Formats: sequence, C-alpha cells, structure tokens
Amino acid sequence: MYLKKSLIALAATASLCAVASVALADHFDDGQWNATEKALKGKTVAFVPISMGFDLPQAWAAALQHDADKWGFKLVIRDPNWDVAAGAQALTQLIAEKPDLLIFHPLDMTAYAKLVKKAGDAGITTVQMNLKSLNTGDAYVGADWHDLLTQQTQAAVRFCGAGTSGKIALLQGNPTTPTVIIGMGGVNEVLGKNPGLKVVATQSADWDATKAHDITGTLLKQNEDLCAIVGFWDGQDIGAAAAIKEAGKTGKVKLITNGAGRQAAACDNVANGSFDSYHSYNAKGQGRDLAAIVRMLLQHKPEKGGAHPFAVYSDSKEITKANMTSESCWTIEDIKANGG
Amino acid sequence: MSTSEVYDRWRSRLFPDHVIGEILSKNWIDNAIPFLFLIVTITTFGTILPNFLAVGGLSDQARELGEIVFVVLGMTIVMLAGGIDLSVGSTFALSNFVMLAAFNWQHLPVGVAIGLALLSGAIVGLVNGILVGYLRLRAFLTTLVTLIIVRAIDDTLVLKYSVAVGALNDSSNIWNFISDGDFYGAPPVFIVAMLVAIVGHIFLTRLRPGWHILAVGGSRRSAHNAGLSVRRTVAMTYVMSGIAAAAGGVFYASRLASAGASTGVGLEVTALTAAVLGGNSLGGGRGSVAKALLGAVIVLIINNSLVRMGLKSGAGSLVLGIVLLVAVGIDVRWLKNRLNVLSAVYVSPSYFKMLPCPSTAEGSDSVYALNDKLRDVELIGLGEIDGAEDPLLDEDDHLYFGNRQGDIIRYFGPDHKKSEIYAHIGGTPLGMAFDRQGNLTTCVAGMGLYQVRKDTREVIKLTDETNRSWFSIIDDSRMRLADDLDIAPDGRIFFSEATVRFDQHEWMVDALEARGNGRIICYDPRDKSTKTVVPNIRFPNGVCLAHDAKSIYYGTTWGCTVERFWIEGPKAGSVETIIANLPGYADNINRSSDGHYWLAIVGMRTPAFDLALRKPGFRRRMVRRVAQDEWLFPQMNVGNVIKFTDKGDVIDCLWDKRGVNHPMLTSCNEHKGYLYLGGVYNNRVGKYKIPGADPTFTNQRSYWGAKA
Repeated sequence: MYLKKSLIALAATASLCAVASVALADHFDDGQWNATEKALKGKTVAFVPISMGFDLPQAWAAALQHDADKWGFKLVIRDPNWDVAAGAQALTQLIAEKPDLLIFHPLDMTAYAKLVKKAGDAGITTVQMNLKSLNTGDAYVGADWHDLLTQQTQAAVRFCGAGTSGKIALLQGNPTTPTVIIGMGGVNEVLGKNPGLKVVATQSADWDATKAHDITGTLLKQNEDLCAIVGFWDGQDIGAAAAIKEAGKTGKVKLITNGAGRQAAACDNVANGSFDSYHSYNAKGQGRDLAAIVRMLLQHKPEKGGAHPFAVYSDSKEITKANMTSESCWTIEDIKANGG
Repeated sequence: MSTSEVYDRWRSRLFPDHVIGEILSKNWIDNAIPFLFLIVTITTFGTILPNFLAVGGLSDQARELGEIVFVVLGMTIVMLAGGIDLSVGSTFALSNFVMLAAFNWQHLPVGVAIGLALLSGAIVGLVNGILVGYLRLRAFLTTLVTLIIVRAIDDTLVLKYSVAVGALNDSSNIWNFISDGDFYGAPPVFIVAMLVAIVGHIFLTRLRPGWHILAVGGSRRSAHNAGLSVRRTVAMTYVMSGIAAAAGGVFYASRLASAGASTGVGLEVTALTAAVLGGNSLGGGRGSVAKALLGAVIVLIINNSLVRMGLKSGAGSLVLGIVLLVAVGIDVRWLKNRLNVLSAVYVSPSYFKMLPCPSTAEGSDSVYALNDKLRDVELIGLGEIDGAEDPLLDEDDHLYFGNRQGDIIRYFGPDHKKSEIYAHIGGTPLGMAFDRQGNLTTCVAGMGLYQVRKDTREVIKLTDETNRSWFSIIDDSRMRLADDLDIAPDGRIFFSEATVRFDQHEWMVDALEARGNGRIICYDPRDKSTKTVVPNIRFPNGVCLAHDAKSIYYGTTWGCTVERFWIEGPKAGSVETIIANLPGYADNINRSSDGHYWLAIVGMRTPAFDLALRKPGFRRRMVRRVAQDEWLFPQMNVGNVIKFTDKGDVIDCLWDKRGVNHPMLTSCNEHKGYLYLGGVYNNRVGKYKIPGADPTFTNQRSYWGAKA
C-alpha cells in the first residue's frame, strides 16, 4: 500500500517537472529569439587575458559570463598571468581544442600575431581586446590609443600653460604595446602644436606600480618644478601617485592617466586627489561591446578567419574632480549582477 | 615451534626483504622518485582535466617541450659540473631577438640567422664561463648578474626594434617548416631536441669531456688532483648551456615570431625546477640527460595543466615554486639519507633453524671430541704471513698462498724459510689449485678467477662474470667474493662464490642474513664460458674434486653442511647433502692421501648464535640499532680440522686445544705426509705431521698423475 502511494507521488512529481521544463523553454519567439538561442546555446567561447589579476579582463569576463549564463554558452578562461609563453601555450592548446570563438588579449603587438592567424586558419573566430596584435582577426574591441593619448596630452596642455614650468614627463608602459606605439603618435601630435610644453623625461614603468613609484620619485627630485606627468595606465600610475604624495606634491604635480574606469581605481583616486585627470575608456562599456560582438559572431560565423574584419573603438571620457558624478565609474559587482 | 617462529619462517620464505636494500643500492633509484612524481602528476591532472592527453595536440606540446628541453639540458650540464646558470632566460630572449632581427628584419638566410642566434648564446655562456670558471666567481651571483645585464640589453633592443622584428617573413620554406611543419606528426624542434638529448647522453656517459664534467662536479679538488683542467671544464659547461638556451630561443622565435619584453622571463626557475625535479643534484656530479628529460616533461605538464585549469593569476607560479621547494628538499634529504637508509636496511636477516649441535665435549665418545693433536705443529713464516687462507704446495715443495695485499707469496721448499712475492694480482687471492700444466689458478675476492702462468708468471684473468639471473636486482653477473676452486680432469674449473651481496671485508655480515646468497660457478676453458651451476647456497666455501673425479664436494659455511655436486655420470647436475650437521662452520676441503677428505672448520657453533638464527627480528633490530662492533657474529676464535669419507662419515678430528697456533682454521692441505694449516686472519702456516700418512702424496700427483 505504502509502496503504491510512493510510486504515485513519484510519478506525479515527474510529470510536474516535465510540465515545468516545457513551460520554461516556451519563450515567445518573435521570429528571432529562438534562432538566437539556438545559435548561442552550447557554444564555447575562450578568453586568454594578460592576467585575471586586474580590472580590465575582470570587467570583460564578468560581462561575458553574464551573457553566457543567460544564453547557455560556455566561457573558458585560461590565465597566463603576464607570461607570454604561458599565454601562447594556452592559446595553442585552445586552438587545438577548437572553441567557437577565441578572445585574445595580447600583451604586446607581436606576441600572439602568429597565433591570431593560426586560429583563423583553423576556422576559429577571433576577437582581439584593447591591445591589437600586428595581425587582424575578425574583430577588435578596445581603446583608440591615438585619441586617448591625444586627450591626455591636451589635459597636460591645459594644466601646464602660462605661469607654470611647462615641464612634463611621460610615464610609459611596456614599449611594445599599442598603447605606447600608437599612443605616442597622439602625444607627439599635441606636443608639436604646443611648443610651450617640454618633455623632460620619457620612462617606461612596464605596467608595474612599483617601478612607476621609483621612477617618479627620482623624476621629482631631478625636476623640482615638474608640472605634470602623463601616465599610460592607472594600474601602474597609482605608484606614481604614491611617489607624488610622498614628496608632498599632490595637486602641484598633475597626474594624468588612463584606464578602465573602475570606481576604486578611477573615481576614488580622482576624489582623493591621486589622479588629477583620468581618461576612462570604460571597460564596462567595452564588456558590453564585447558581449554583443560575441553574440553577433556566434550567430553569423565569418566564413573565413579575418575575411570581414571590423573594429569597435571605445569612446573615452575625461574624469576630473569637477565633472565626476556617481555614474562616472563602475564596479565589478554591478557588471556581475547586471552585465556590461 | 612458537607462532612467532612460524611467522618468521614464512616471512623469510615469502617476503624478499633483501630486495629493498638492493633496490636502494642501485644508481637508477635516483630516477625512481622523479618517475613516481611524473606518474602522480599525470594521474592528478588526468583526473582533474578532461581529455588531458587527447586534446591540445601532443604535437603542439611537443613543440614547447622541445624548447624547454634545450634549456633544461644546458642547465643540467652546468649543474653536473657543480654550477648553476641563472642567465638562461635572458640568453633565450636574446637569441630569440637575434634570430628574428636577422631573419625577419635583416632578411639574412635562415642558416646564417640561426648561426648568429646560437653565437649570441655562446658569447653569453663564454662570459659566464670566464667569470665563473677562470676567475672563480660565485656561479649563483655571477649568472644572476648576467641574467640582469643580458635582459637589459634585450629590453633595450626590443624597445627600439620590436615592431620591425615582429614583421613576418615568409620567404624561407625551411623556416616555415621549422615553425609549423611536422615530420610524421613530430615537430622539428622535438626531433632536434631528442637528437641533442641522445648526443648529450652519449657525451656525458661515454666521452672523455663528459666524464670530466661529472668528475669536476663530483669533487673539484679530486678532479684537479687527477690532472683535469677544472677551470676549462667549468667554463665549457656554461658555453654549452648558453648555446642550448639559444637553441631554445631560436625555436621559440620560429613558433611565435614575437620579440616581446617578457620573452623567457622566469625561464631560469622553470629550467632549474625541471632539472632538480628530474633528480639532478644541485651539488653537482649526480645527474643525467634522462633525468633532465623527465624533469622537463613533469614541469611542462604542471605548467600547462595549471594554465588549462584556469587558476587565478599567480597561483601557477605559486604551485611551481612549491614544487621546486619540495624537489630541492627531497634532493637534499635524499642525498643525505640514502646511504643511511641503505646501511640500515641492506642487511636483511632470514629465518634459519639448525639441527641440534653435535657434542664436542672433551672425553666424550663424539667423533668431534676436543683433543690437542695440533699442539705441536711446526710453524712457517711466523709473524711474516698475513692471512694465508689456502696454503698450497707444488711438486717441488714450494708453499704458495695469497695475502690481503693482492700478492701470491711463495715460500721456498723444502725448509720454507725464505720467501718471495710470486705474483701480484690484486684483490684478495683466496682458494688455489694447480692445473694440469702447473699453472696456479686462484679465486680472487673482489676480482674473479685468475691464473698465474707457471713459465712466465704472467697473470691472466680467466673470468670475472657469469650469467645474470633474471630476477636478481643486484647485478649478480659480477663476481664479488670468489672463494675456492677445484679443477676437473677435463679442465672445467668449479668454484664457489660465497656471497653476491657482500664484499670480502664484510663477509661475516653475510652470516647475519643466513640466506642462500652464494653459488657454485663453472668456468669451462674450452669455450671460455662461465655459468652458475648451483645457485642460492648459504656461503659455499671449500670446493674439492672427489677422488673419482665424478663429483665435487663443497662446504656451506653458515649452513654447516658438506654437499656433493655431481658433475658426471647419471646424477650429473644434482646436489646431495653428505654431512648435514657439522658442529662448526665449514671452510676449505682438500683431498687426503688415504682416499678421504680434509675439511677445515673455521669456527665452532655456539648456542647463542644458533638461537639468533631462529630470530630474524632480533638480528634485524641489532643491525639497525647497535654499532657494528657490538653485533653478535658467529664464533670464529676456535676451529678445528676433520676428515670425512666420501660417504660423509667423519673419521678424525684435530684440535688446537690451547688456541695458540690455530684458533681459526680456513684450510688444510696434505703434502708428503704433512698437513699444512692456514687461517685467513692468522699470521703463520702450521705444518702437522700426519701419523701414518703416505709420504709421497702430493696434490699434483693425486690430480694429474706422476710427472710425465
């Protein structure tokens, strides 16, 4: 008797579940929804960042993961932690695993150039983020370094006009990255138009805050009347800000930097005076662009790798104490919860 | 029999305790831990990662492995010579840059570009070599500095030219093949790396410069004293390491064509981890190419698996760091403790129960009853002789025996007052016999079976190896302790090897094991073949051809028996026990003039040691916990001589009751009515007049008939 009851209960539960799952899958098809879901579901998207240890890849990954959860594709992340050889290895392995789409985040312009081509030849759709290699894949999403550095240098022009020494220093990152190679074009363009500015030092801090701190400390001693520093990335320039603060020159030596626009890295540091001018290329927006492009490419796979490449250059905005609002920056929690 | 005794008996029978010590004494045991680690690594990541081996293309992994192997090989060679080369990462990067600059940018022919890249590595290596080898700077600091300097040079070059250098150059098919091609699935870099590994192995194990490297690494001072050019050898290893790292860089260039600033950063740690993990000692002198390969494979698997697992930034380096730490720890502890462990476990006693000891009481009716017949022996060479294990006389009454210096001493007959060194062989010559031509044939402990030509006194090696048994861990084809021999009419030499597990100087330790570690070996001069005819005997000792030449007798020292091995006739090949229970430890056997046999008993049994033989656990604990000079050994201070018939009946027994002249007896040889007595630890040879013996009897005549 008891057994019979249990069996009935079990059957009832099972049928309920079946009904429920049918109900869940029964999304209204507006003519495209079903096709979109079909194109995305079960796909594999692989991402090899420079490192998952800082905000940019974290923002992109969060936006992608939000999408992946919604649409049912798989996001694979392999973290080489700043090691080009490990990154190349991860990419080589992924190319052999044949994901549907492969996202590169090259450390410099030559690092993965061959692999972008190799992936394309293997029929894998490729997207390059923020730092484009010498080879063009299917899509590029990232900053327009020429414009960004142009804006930063213009901010220096603004800060270091008449009545100042006009002395500025350039705090570059890894010299083989597009940031420096392309960005210097913008810097030189502005400098050419503004002969009042004098570049007293051009140093590379290799994206390393400690190096930036040491370089800046020395710079400030050598050039007592330094007016501004144009830094190439907030992650390293935070070291420069610390050095300026140690020298008691916060506010006197203007620090102009760029970055992802994360609340803690950008807005908070602008608010506390560490950065005087922050040029954000808005990683949250990039994440949204990336997620959208991934969805597009998964629905319309390019027939041949790199046959119809396109680029989405990120807009950038300057954040200063004066124009900063609560909307100027983003947090990773927000992206994780709500997408890019 | 108590339960524990039954347990001990079965354990001795079933469990090969001695194998543990033998495995630990092997050189290849150094590879065991890395190999185990490789298996653990593969199992671990194979379980964690789906499609661990299938996916990812073994071909792609082989590409990367090839590059790492070059660097690890270089590092290994430096380490073998006792150094360390931290500059490999920078050298690798520099070579990568030079290769790309020469080929992609300057469009030089591939061969020239590769040559230039290798040259750059050789130059860095030469700088290291001069600084460390010739100027004797500390390897660690010096190569750390070159690491930084070369890295700075590379950075400067990359800063200026990286984009130009990164431009792909498709002009060379050879280069394209190196980058992307494969030969039956194996990428060129892998093939080249394996070829270099094979050459490296031959270089290190078979060629003089390779031996020099190992010698220098093992002990600089000894190498110097041996006349090796330590400085040049050390310098050479750095040059080789530089070239090897550069070769890795060339292939890296072919794979990625990227001259980024981070090329080869941290590679020195990877290479070091691989080399140490493979079992190459940081202290130098110990290591091999195989170990380097093993280490490289392990590190590559760990590295790649960690990346594939998608660990957060830094975790990969952390794991690799921990692995290096563990490897270094094991290396140090292993090196330090291996010999301690070995000495603790090598001696592995087994269960052995003897029959009750026959009485030797004075005045009893036992045939072994104590007497003093040897009281008034004539002494030969008192104080001059050092350990005449087996005195032997020739037809002209000259007396021969070996000593611990490896000489054969001859005392001139008939008075035996003057002596000479008859021949020098080396080792410790023990048992002796003359062959038909009068050539002195002898078993030399530590060397094998040797012969001294009668006419020229030339020393000839007859044999020093026998067939290897299939399941023996230690190489039992080598002869460790050849003991006594006799020669059959057809020229076959039957000789005993007392034990395959211990050397001559620790022969008594074999008693603690009481295992059948010895054997009877036959050397056939007709086809110069050697083979083991009776294996697993408890310390076989004296060997004597029966009067009818159809069998040989041999004594088993720890077994306290006399056995007969048939060499001819219907029973050929079989063994039978002639005397099952001697009151002491059997040693050499020789013919007597009345058709019987003399047996020297080296020491009498004691109840304590007989009991100890039934307690393997006791002996094991003793060996591990007590200093060797406190161990309980078989009694060797009182021995005697017995005479037995070919059926094994004991018919006479000779004692030296006071123990002044012959407390310990290892041999007795009858010659012209006298018995010549020797002891391996005695300083004299005794000459005992045998009552009623045939005064014309000589071994020569007994064996080979009257002189032609």
